[in-house]
Amino acid sequence: MTLLLQAVVNGLEMGFLYALVAVGLTIIWGLMEMINFAHGEFLMLGMFGAWWLSVTFGLDPLVAIVPVGLAMYALGVLIYRQLMRRVQQGDPFTQIFATIGLLFLLQNSAVAVFTSDYRYLSNTVLTRLSGANLHVLGVSVGVPILIGALLALVLFLALYLLIDRTEFGLALQATAEDREAAMLVGIRPQKMFAVAWGLGAALVAVAGAILANFFAVFPQVGFPFTVLAYAIVALGGFGSILGTLLAALLVGVVQSVTSVYLEPAFKDAFVFASYILIGLCRPQGLFGRF
Amino acid sequence: MRRVPLVLSAGACLLFAGVLASQTVPAANVQEVLVGELLPLTGNFASLGQQYLWAGQTVEDIVNNDYPDLTVPLGPGKGFPGLGGAALKLVVRDDQSRGDLARTLAEQLITVNKIHWLNGEGTSGNTSIIQPVVESFGIPMSCHPCASPTLTEKGLQWFWRTGPNDKTMVASVFTFLREWREQGGPTDLKTIALFTCDNLFCQDNRKIAAELAPKAGFQVVLDLTTKTGATTLASEVQRLQAANPDVLFLVQYPPETSIFQGDAKRAGWTPKIIATSNGAYSDQTWLEAQKKTNGGAGWLGRDPTAIDLVQDRPSWRKVNEIYKKYSRGQNMGELAMREITGMLWMADTINRAKSVEPAALAKAASETNMGPEQLIIDYKGVRFDKTHQNELATGVVTQVGWDGEKHTIWPWDLAKRANFKVLYPSPGWQERDTKPKPAN
Repeated sequence: MTLLLQAVVNGLEMGFLYALVAVGLTIIWGLMEMINFAHGEFLMLGMFGAWWLSVTFGLDPLVAIVPVGLAMYALGVLIYRQLMRRVQQGDPFTQIFATIGLLFLLQNSAVAVFTSDYRYLSNTVLTRLSGANLHVLGVSVGVPILIGALLALVLFLALYLLIDRTEFGLALQATAEDREAAMLVGIRPQKMFAVAWGLGAALVAVAGAILANFFAVFPQVGFPFTVLAYAIVALGGFGSILGTLLAALLVGVVQSVTSVYLEPAFKDAFVFASYILIGLCRPQGLFGRF
Repeated sequence: MRRVPLVLSAGACLLFAGVLASQTVPAANVQEVLVGELLPLTGNFASLGQQYLWAGQTVEDIVNNDYPDLTVPLGPGKGFPGLGGAALKLVVRDDQSRGDLARTLAEQLITVNKIHWLNGEGTSGNTSIIQPVVESFGIPMSCHPCASPTLTEKGLQWFWRTGPNDKTMVASVFTFLREWREQGGPTDLKTIALFTCDNLFCQDNRKIAAELAPKAGFQVVLDLTTKTGATTLASEVQRLQAANPDVLFLVQYPPETSIFQGDAKRAGWTPKIIATSNGAYSDQTWLEAQKKTNGGAGWLGRDPTAIDLVQDRPSWRKVNEIYKKYSRGQNMGELAMREITGMLWMADTINRAKSVEPAALAKAASETNMGPEQLIIDYKGVRFDKTHQNELATGVVTQVGWDGEKHTIWPWDLAKRANFKVLYPSPGWQERDTKPKPAN
């Protein structure tokens, strides 16, 4: 029983980290319905940003999330204005290929600048806490991941309030729903899309800065997370911020529990099997609406 | 009318002779020897690919420039003396760590770039994909750091490997563990768990370890395969902890190894012995990172050379200086050493063949009998068996000490020279945290 309970707790902890990664995609793909295959590369840039600020200026990644987030916001807006705004007018396939191109551009640029070496952070607040655990009912909860999870919760709450409770958020939703109608009430769709890209890039980069404490930093690090992030956003329901959070937790738990009792090599297969199973009953995802 | 078949036959003979002539490249006509370097420079295995590229550039530098004091093949003098001073030129292609692309690029290198030798791909899985292509075109090919035994066991005509395969190297670990009992080591090591990733390299290691473990007196209590590119290994650590093996035999790439370390630390679990094979243990960046955390202290693994002793060799030091010109100052890791050793053998073979004709190169390769004094690492030499595997390639066992460096602990004669006391049992996480860190 303790084994199962521990697996569930481990899964929830990882789920919060997955939620952090998926939150940026919730806006760009889930809400604005734009495809971005370079999402993992934004995460990678966030991780490299945190690593670079740490080794160059001794800045802890928990502090580095501010400059990393701001820089990536600017990059997200730039990418929308220079690339995606034009691509948006074409076929959805154009978006797919443009962002795949962006993926290779960003990944190979990172290889050129940083080489493909694996880089690791040490002596940060979270790495120093890496052995610290809280023990509840015979189950141990890792303190650093718990802090990461709390940060994820704060980000989700902030995003939820921004999207659902502010005029700006409503304008963002209106733009996603009907661009022409939004224009009629004075909303500038291009600006909304640019802000959405900026926010999406900034959020996933912040996730990257936190994840850099737990994972090796290298140019290809984004891919496994991107695959899971797409499954999470679709599973949660497009545009549903709460759905994304719950789906991320579900993915974490499915991975963790199946790995305890079944062959761990297939843990992602079980995640996608769950997605298919839920998709058969609720094609719109857990909290999505048609 | 009788003249028509005669003229046609004569024409066909001339054409045939022309084709034959075009295939035989006399030494005097060779200006450059083209070696295709097909590597994973981007994608999942890019960190390996870049080390192989730097190794290739080092060998190109050694062959094309004069290093009078360097006692490796083609160190002194410029170019290939056997080919009138022709230069070595690498034709580098990046397959993005993808087997399908590697196959296409191999074809292009052979048919469009007209390479004389193909070196690559650096990973066993993708190398096995391009082997049939190269075999069908009939040009020499080599992959020296590729360790999967199957690459040579197929008995291909055009493939050679100077490096030891996994059978040799994993056997080294288990021989050490078996003999250690008789050499005053612990006698209570009875159980083992295998913890490997899911690709060809890891699975080959797993199969060999599963076969050798019982022969070395170990009961396999858990055999776990994980996904390459895993984002968490917490559940796997739970299972390992529950199985509580005395020895953990781990074969994982650097990112997964660091995830394992994080999850094992969180769980507060350390087995008595952590034994590994290649993967992170061969990655210089992982080893350097351990110096900041003591994370690697006590890990033992197989290596193709006694890395702590080989540094005393003047040729090793000189080659390392050349390597650092290309590697942004990084020292050669053991993978780079294997690649450089293999590519210098290739250069020597081309030079001895005095031709870039495939048959001549193959003959020279098979006739290789190179002594250890010509090598930068500790093989007993280079001589191929009938499958084109170097039968003199050896394996050693090393262990990471508190200084963050690898020390030779087997074979016993080299261990005596290294004079290192084996760290046993593997230090716990608290001890790792409290001890001074070499990088700090």
